[in-house]
Amino acid sequence: MRKQTAFILSGLLPALLLVLVFTYYPFFQGIVMAFQEYKLFDLRSVHFVGLDNFTAAFSDPKFLTALQNSAYWVFCSLILQFLFGLTLALLLKKQFRGRGVYQGLVFYSWALSGFLIGMIWKWMFNSQIGVVNDMLLRVGLIHERIGFLSDPKWAMISVIVANVWYGVAFFAIMLLAALQSVPSELYEAAEMDGANGPRKLWNVTLPYIMPTIIATTLLRAIWIFNDPSIIYGLTNGGPAGSTHILSSLMLDRIIYAGDYGAASAIGLIMIVILLLYTIFFLTATKSEKVGDF
Amino acid sequence: MMRRRKALALLLCSVMTVGLLAGCGGKSGGSGGGDKVTLRMIESLTSPKRTELIQAAIDRFQDANPNIKVELISPPFDQADNKIRTMLGSKEELDVLEVRDLTVAEFVNNGYVEPLNAYADKWKDYATVSAVSKSVGTVGDKLYFVPNGLYERQMFYRADWFKEAGLNPPTTWEELYDTAKKLTDPAKNRFGFSFRGGAGSNGTTDAMILAYNGDKVNTEDSMFTKDGATIYSTSEAKAAMELYLKIYKEASPPDSINWGFQEQVQAFTSGVTAILLQDPDVIQSLQEKMQEGTWATAPLTTGPTGKALFAAGGAGWGIASKSKHKDEAWKLVEFLSSPTENTKFSKDYGLIPIHTSATEDEFFKSGPYKTLIDMSNKPDTYVNYKPPFQYPGTGQWGQTTMETGQALLLGKATLDDTLKKWDAYWVDQKNKLKK
Repeated sequence: MRKQTAFILSGLLPALLLVLVFTYYPFFQGIVMAFQEYKLFDLRSVHFVGLDNFTAAFSDPKFLTALQNSAYWVFCSLILQFLFGLTLALLLKKQFRGRGVYQGLVFYSWALSGFLIGMIWKWMFNSQIGVVNDMLLRVGLIHERIGFLSDPKWAMISVIVANVWYGVAFFAIMLLAALQSVPSELYEAAEMDGANGPRKLWNVTLPYIMPTIIATTLLRAIWIFNDPSIIYGLTNGGPAGSTHILSSLMLDRIIYAGDYGAASAIGLIMIVILLLYTIFFLTATKSEKVGDF
Repeated sequence: MMRRRKALALLLCSVMTVGLLAGCGGKSGGSGGGDKVTLRMIESLTSPKRTELIQAAIDRFQDANPNIKVELISPPFDQADNKIRTMLGSKEELDVLEVRDLTVAEFVNNGYVEPLNAYADKWKDYATVSAVSKSVGTVGDKLYFVPNGLYERQMFYRADWFKEAGLNPPTTWEELYDTAKKLTDPAKNRFGFSFRGGAGSNGTTDAMILAYNGDKVNTEDSMFTKDGATIYSTSEAKAAMELYLKIYKEASPPDSINWGFQEQVQAFTSGVTAILLQDPDVIQSLQEKMQEGTWATAPLTTGPTGKALFAAGGAGWGIASKSKHKDEAWKLVEFLSSPTENTKFSKDYGLIPIHTSATEDEFFKSGPYKTLIDMSNKPDTYVNYKPPFQYPGTGQWGQTTMETGQALLLGKATLDDTLKKWDAYWVDQKNKLKK
């Protein structure tokens, strides 16, 4: 028996070690650093400072803006990505010529890196030499160039537009797969009962793919919340910190300030937020299931 | 059968574990096999073209020194300094590294880099290294890196637009504002000044505030006046910043509040802006993208007292204090810094060479480089100052000015408050240094 345990343990060892070294060690180290003054510029004076990093974060207007932006960023991106993704999936469900090619083109954005997307959109949004302004001017929709990335009114909207463009493909892929699994008998039965198009969508399709919708939105919300790459590439939080979300602010603390203590504190706050979110979401969806089935 | 399979699994697991642990160990003992020494070298100001030039120089070095092998690491520019910091901090093997004027104080502070004086004293070409180059690489009284070229700011302007409008290149900041305003026509998508409010914005704000403070500035400790106050606390600083705001609001693209190096240069080359203040490393891309005769260079603009303060910046090769092959590392540094190699690199990449003998070269006496030489010939107008690189906070200053500066440009903060913040930053730096 004991031999058995030893055998099992030794079998698990490589995987365990990998996870320990590359996931849990940095994770716990991060928690420790959140309570330390840990600046890359001055590694000789690393010491514990209690809750200083947290109080500093909450009294920093930049952090509060980022907190607010994070909510805005996740909510708008998620809703729009989902709606566009669902529409796209419904359209792609029908057979038409060249569907494969079209599908490939539509899903392409998902294969790009967020940072690259940020760089591409940065040039497109440029108010003097960018293609977006140029097109809008030519079409006659605007008469003056808009500083999409330089005007704080527009900057947050612009980064969300880029993010929506990026994430629509994810929902389209996942929802299309789910749509294709809806048995056609259900539609036939619904038609017999005299259901029209919207009725079928509302009463057959959506309930059937609801588990996929729940799982994908839950996942995607966490990803959007955690992903700083588009913002980092596009505005780097500017102008004047007005487009930072928590994850990009954390990155900013590391890259420009070399302040691992402050960054870890933000990271820890993010973990708490995500934990609360997950608990909330799981309870909410549980009751949903009870109601449905 | 079962037992054998178990044994096999066990063996496999142990092999994987060992492999994993070995993987964590990183590269060590690269010098095995005869007397061949492997040097690990990292660059900071990475760009594809530059890496190519450095690699070519390394190849020549390896041909001349067959017993030394050099491994060049080229992290992307944005993350390079952090990568270097992390490598040094985690005691990864590194022999030669590119130290920047911006990072040298911090590296010295953390004990990462080796003083080079003992080596330089024995170096026959050290005598022709210019005083400015030496001062860029020096902290306290010790040399920590040999620059691989110097950067100095000058003005690039659209000669054709100036001619068309009957304008001369501005000589003062006030004139720059007037000229730029005349050339601004948003309807035609033309703006006078290639403003830079994003990363590196302090290049403009500091230059203006220094020029306005003029003679008051302590050139050895350039964030402070001769009276010991910060340069941001004076009434001159306020005047400079008021003009700065006017230049942004009336003569620059509104979008430029977020622009960094690339957008600033791109706007100039693509015909949106008329005046660009930049280092000589843009000369190459101007020559490639713009027609000859459409652009020209002029000296820096001066403040109201007729002074422009300018500094030479640079990066160069230093040796890690943890290096196990310091003699070989110095050999490489000496090779790369030799008059032949350095002049070649400066010409190919667009820098001011570090050897005084090289500026005699015809190449630097004509064309866009001429302005820089002219400027150094008028030391009364163009005053050289030593940037505040001895303060560890210098590296963060750019980010701080960018954020507070953007808030100012957007009207989210007042000028007085902004200057107070900048003043406090340097008072704080001074106090920390005194400790």
